[in-house]
Amino acid sequence: MKLFYEILAWAVFSLVVGLLSVWPRYSLVDEHNAIITVTISHAAQRIGECRILTQEELNKLPPNMRKPSDCPRERHAVRFEMRSGDNVLYEDVLLPSGVWSDGKANIYQRVVVPAGRHDVYVGMNDSGGETGFDYETQASLDIASGRNVVVRFDPELQQFTIR
Amino acid sequence: MIERIHSLGRGAFELLRRPLSRAFDSEQNPLNHLGALTIYFCWIVLISGIWLLIFFRTSVSSAFESVEYLTREQWYLGGIMRSLHRYASDALIITILLHVIKEFVFNRYRLNRWFNWVTGIPLVWIIFPLGITGYWLVWDELAQYVAIASAELLDSVPIFTNSMAGNFMSDELLSDRFFTLMAFLHLIGLPIFLVFGIWLHVFRLNGPRINPPRRMMAAALLAMLVLSVVYPAISHDKADLSMAPQVLRFDWFYLHVYPLIQRWSPGWVWFLLVGISVLLTIAPWAPPARKTTVAVVDLDNCNGCKRCVDDCPFGAVEMVPRTDGSNYTHEASVDEELCISCGICVGACPTATPFRSRSALVPGIDLPNQTAADIRQDIIDRAEPPANAPRVMVFGCRDDEQTKRMLKAGQNVVTVRCMAHLQPSFLDFVLSRDHAEGILLLGCEDGNCNYRLGAEWTEARIGRERDPRLRKRTDTSRLAMGWQAPWSDIKDPVKRLAAFKASLENEEGNV
Repeated sequence: MKLFYEILAWAVFSLVVGLLSVWPRYSLVDEHNAIITVTISHAAQRIGECRILTQEELNKLPPNMRKPSDCPRERHAVRFEMRSGDNVLYEDVLLPSGVWSDGKANIYQRVVVPAGRHDVYVGMNDSGGETGFDYETQASLDIASGRNVVVRFDPELQQFTIR
Repeated sequence: MIERIHSLGRGAFELLRRPLSRAFDSEQNPLNHLGALTIYFCWIVLISGIWLLIFFRTSVSSAFESVEYLTREQWYLGGIMRSLHRYASDALIITILLHVIKEFVFNRYRLNRWFNWVTGIPLVWIIFPLGITGYWLVWDELAQYVAIASAELLDSVPIFTNSMAGNFMSDELLSDRFFTLMAFLHLIGLPIFLVFGIWLHVFRLNGPRINPPRRMMAAALLAMLVLSVVYPAISHDKADLSMAPQVLRFDWFYLHVYPLIQRWSPGWVWFLLVGISVLLTIAPWAPPARKTTVAVVDLDNCNGCKRCVDDCPFGAVEMVPRTDGSNYTHEASVDEELCISCGICVGACPTATPFRSRSALVPGIDLPNQTAADIRQDIIDRAEPPANAPRVMVFGCRDDEQTKRMLKAGQNVVTVRCMAHLQPSFLDFVLSRDHAEGILLLGCEDGNCNYRLGAEWTEARIGRERDPRLRKRTDTSRLAMGWQAPWSDIKDPVKRLAAFKASLENEEGNV
């Protein structure tokens, strides 16, 4: 009898292991939805122009630090907006990274949308303006259920890619 | 407050322990070997992992196919090894969880045990990434989900300048180097830390139980093998970064926090994980446990025999060069930081014999707040008159629930710190001096010794396998160890006592 209980105990243990290793199922997106993922790592424009130092100012500096221009390190925040028609899917203002606020601003956002046709508009401002966007693109997409559409900003071409 | 939590936890643990004690005697009960069982599952994971490694290809383009080959074409070996690898990894999460709960509810994480408790926490932080990176390597839809969600979690830590999750947006962006890094972490980096961490976790213990009993090892392996054959682990479809994985067969043992990343935010998940870890880390001092009086060495009676050193479960006694100028070369020395006052050293001391009459009963090592002389006096005081025969003297462990239940039921119990606190000559003393006709050693329930090795040493001393041995003249049929069959089958200690008395009566009748 004890052996029976022992086998039963190990069987229950195995059952728990087997069951919780696959069940309950988990769904990241519902059956009729899709995802648009925005992933942007972009260094915005600096907050001011470089200034040429006068000879007097240069003379005050140690010889090894006499750079002719003084450029501010800080960058503007990146303002981003993504719409489907008139519906704003995602908008945010991202500060530059780094202790001196001179690094890239990183956007990574997943937006769940219903599968189907979407007229997607994407805009990004990196020059500190309150209105308008420095970079824009539009695309008419037919997004299948479960699809992951990625919105990126190509730093070399300085333009958005949606695919 | 904390005692109340412990008590409630012990009640809950009892719900699991009770049915298992029907199936296993104390030696074979997995609840008494949770740490060793965890290490054993690690061995299964390691050995099955080596087989998988032989065939695994560490690149994004061919990892999935190599796992599929193992799973489908080489199902009879590679497939079973993969399933064993998976299920043993899952099983060890259960044993770790139970191990942590047990040590907590039985208050085995404070005082000098804080070190084992605290060093266990980084082990959990190693084991989870180890399991998670393992899922990553299959590079199926689940791996895709795990990779992206893990990257999102890491991205929320403000130390990375670029988004790691951004690497998983298309197959072109994903580099083999990143994948190789994961393989390195899973196959070499984390396992090295794990081995070191396990060593650190147990190195302060005397005789740590690294392996469970052989029968248990065989049963655990068989259970995992049967599961692997009946329900083999399989992959999802190959990862496709243009698609979002929809329905996933989720391994909740390792991935339970991942849905929270989407439901809450990565920051809150970190807060939860770090918060739990901090709470667990400070638990031994919240509130601080009252430090008990430690064992004291009496050099006049210590001959440096080293038995206390051999038997101390916590390595709290060591031999040092003699300081009193006697002819013995060494003497015992107690480390106050490590001593937990279990009294096992007293039970190991050959001079702790109650038969001493010419000199006072002062052993070479003793507990000041319950001396060997106190125990002898307690035995004499609690001895019942011969008219009550068969008289049974019951010895109980101070912190065990059974002892508390017996005392609550008005039973006469000589309470000691641990069964191994009793030097075997005390048992001889009880029977030969006619203080009782029988002795019931309650011990800790199911042999789940509060001081790790008490039940083991008691059995060995009574079985005359370990010094100090029980004298041959002592009739062991008059001794019952409550954690051993058949007595362990009777769960109520009062009924167990009645049954033992009845067996003694039968024996008398037969004679």
